[in-house]
Amino acid sequence: MSGLALLAAARVLALTGATVLTGGPAGTIEKGTVLVTDGVITAVGPAVAVPAGATVVDLAGRFVMPGIIDAHSHTAVEGNVNECTDAVTAEVRIADVLDHRDVNIYRQLAGGVTTANVLHGSCNAIGGQNAVVKYRWGQGPEGLVFKEAPRGVKFALGENPKRANVRAPGTARWPATRMGVEALIRDTFLRARHYRDEWAAYERRRKAGAAGLVPPRRDLRLELVRDVLDGTVLVHAHCYRSDEILMLISLAEELGFKIRTFQHVLEGYKVATEIARHGAGASTFSDWWAYKMEAWDAVPHNAAVMASHGVRVSLNSDSNELARRLYWEAAKAVKYGGASEEEALKMITLNPAWQLGVDRWVGSIEAGKHADLAVFNTHPFAPDARVEMTLVEGQVMFDRAKDVQARSAR
Amino acid sequence: MKARTLLLLALAAPGLARAEREPVVAVVGARIVTLSGAPIEAGTLVMRGGLIESVGTQAAPPDARVIEGKGLVLTPGLIDGFGGTGLPAAPPRGAPGAPSPPPTPDPLAPEADALDRLRPADALKARDDGVTTALAIPREGVLPGRSVLLNLSGEQAEGMVWRQPFALHVHMTSLARRYPGSLMGTMAMVRQGLLDGTRYRLEWAAYEKQPAGRKRPRYDASLRAWAEVAAGELPVMVTAQAENDVRRALSLADEFKVRVLVAGAPQAFRVADLVKSRRLPLLVSVNFDPPRAPAGGPFGGSDEEREREEIAEAERNPAELHKAGVAFALVSGHAPRFLAGVQKAIERGLPREAALRAVTLGAAEALGIADRTGSLEKGKMANVVAWSGDPLAKEAKVKMVFVDGQLYEPDERPEREGGTR
Repeated sequence: MSGLALLAAARVLALTGATVLTGGPAGTIEKGTVLVTDGVITAVGPAVAVPAGATVVDLAGRFVMPGIIDAHSHTAVEGNVNECTDAVTAEVRIADVLDHRDVNIYRQLAGGVTTANVLHGSCNAIGGQNAVVKYRWGQGPEGLVFKEAPRGVKFALGENPKRANVRAPGTARWPATRMGVEALIRDTFLRARHYRDEWAAYERRRKAGAAGLVPPRRDLRLELVRDVLDGTVLVHAHCYRSDEILMLISLAEELGFKIRTFQHVLEGYKVATEIARHGAGASTFSDWWAYKMEAWDAVPHNAAVMASHGVRVSLNSDSNELARRLYWEAAKAVKYGGASEEEALKMITLNPAWQLGVDRWVGSIEAGKHADLAVFNTHPFAPDARVEMTLVEGQVMFDRAKDVQARSAR
Repeated sequence: MKARTLLLLALAAPGLARAEREPVVAVVGARIVTLSGAPIEAGTLVMRGGLIESVGTQAAPPDARVIEGKGLVLTPGLIDGFGGTGLPAAPPRGAPGAPSPPPTPDPLAPEADALDRLRPADALKARDDGVTTALAIPREGVLPGRSVLLNLSGEQAEGMVWRQPFALHVHMTSLARRYPGSLMGTMAMVRQGLLDGTRYRLEWAAYEKQPAGRKRPRYDASLRAWAEVAAGELPVMVTAQAENDVRRALSLADEFKVRVLVAGAPQAFRVADLVKSRRLPLLVSVNFDPPRAPAGGPFGGSDEEREREEIAEAERNPAELHKAGVAFALVSGHAPRFLAGVQKAIERGLPREAALRAVTLGAAEALGIADRTGSLEKGKMANVVAWSGDPLAKEAKVKMVFVDGQLYEPDERPEREGGTR
């Protein structure tokens, strides 16, 4: 597979002969061809005509799947990932602190990851704005940003926001209870509603030609919460216990906003019907729990059970290390709970793509989508699976052969 | 701001009479490194009324006090464009007999003036090292306030203050146990500050325009400081640590149309093209190994190997920037020994001439004061250093320092380290 560096410049690229796990309606295609033009998939199928002049890569015996999407990551963040000093910090943005030189990007590319949801930490009931990133290794921080992705924000329920009272002595922040978390979120949304009304009133008066008007204060914190109300910002809510999940659903429905994903959601299997009815996705671990009390009552069947109730489920890493083998995390959903292989594959591709609002562009191998692809030596769920090559928008970002060669040259 | 400058001039008026009595000085027979042109061997530099009257090979004017400069090298006075000149440094913790530490500055006080913390006697130490012009701002905090530009003449603050305030400062860092506790928070705070400052001014303008029937807005010193920046009257100087802090500074400049300078920037060489194409005034610190705050937070962590690499990169940073053709100043960045830092940069590959430029004319350009100082040219401020040998060479001594034409002879003092010479 040497010489793949040449692909970087190729306008038209044809990956031929591989088993293509499209993750889309076409299912699995034996000896398929993926045609890529200027970084976009233009055709996929068993009998795709390869245009003259295309760079052909023979992938006979290999498996190609959509680039893996990690819906819960803290990779490539500079400085503190938590603005812990207040219980509501919707004004802070992960996009401001992306570190494009974080070597974990490359390591995760070696695990087939091409897109990640870089989230604010879980200190705060309403935390900061996440950044959906593409692993365009080698570019500056602006190159990491997934430009088409809608904005999102981190919420957190339960123990973390309760115990994160890190401010100087004598200036304790609230909440200190689960009740407090609920009240604080409600209070913040009510203030955001007021904020929206205040601006609307100002705009009315301004348009009516009122003189000497001073606009209301722009409040970056409330502005973001207002945008959640308006549906333009996706909510990713860190949670564990079924009671707090139900709490947030009823609070969201009371206040009129949608939860896009529950994150961690280890007790999701208990309230899968309610999660599905609200229309939220769930992003969980395959088998990681019991690291604190609220993460106790977990089962490895969680992902499959939620999926069987109609929840869009993803398996995430929340870890630089675990992110490198999410394909095996997905395989566990087959073993525990009996998810089909296709369903399990979607848990690290199309489902997280939907959860991040980017499924129009990524998450499956379909014409019109970005050519974000992971090439494996065998089926990605096999115990000896390893990534041979990872492409982001048709550009080779990881090439195992080249990497090994570079190592031996050192 | 213009009004303020005028006010300061008025306050300094008694000094004008003294300036007229100032002796006319001519240094003759010295090698003169002008920075604006080729060096002059055995030249004559004449200073009158605080300004440079002439630079060349002409004879000294008859009314001048003549100083024999044979064997000396004259350069422009050094400019430390970002540091703590004249500001009290925190003494080492628990040092025996140490004076009680100065009150720590408020870490979030955009309205604070470094001038209020100035100890003129402390500024004189820098002058002994050949520094004639310095920008002073506390190193602590996130929003340490506004810097003051000093020209180190005399012993009193009034004689030293050149531009007050010079810039509003943002240190790209975060606080412990207090907002902003992350870089994200610092960025958000600056954004909100600029928005609030803009609105503050609108509020007052609306009130002044039609006070009748309108409640007087509440005075707020900090919003007023932000307002001046938002309106472009005062630049922001952003202290960059990481490479991406430079980008952060530029993104604030773009978002709010504010004037931005970047100081510190130990990794600026990684964004050399960006700095060049944006013509970003860049003040590169020679404080290569500053004490670091321990990494905090549940997800924080320190990587010692990367830290060591970063120190090595910081030391090569000036040389790399020079190679890339970037214009920059070298500044102390609160290092206790400015010249030692500059010499380290030279050791790591920065040509000595480039280093000299970076602490004189280059620094003046970065600060936007090159029309008045930074080189030895007729009409510029008489800020001059006489060296015993090659300027900035380790063995060279600062023999004389002229500030505004006034001669100061540094005390011969033993090295601070090692004890014997």
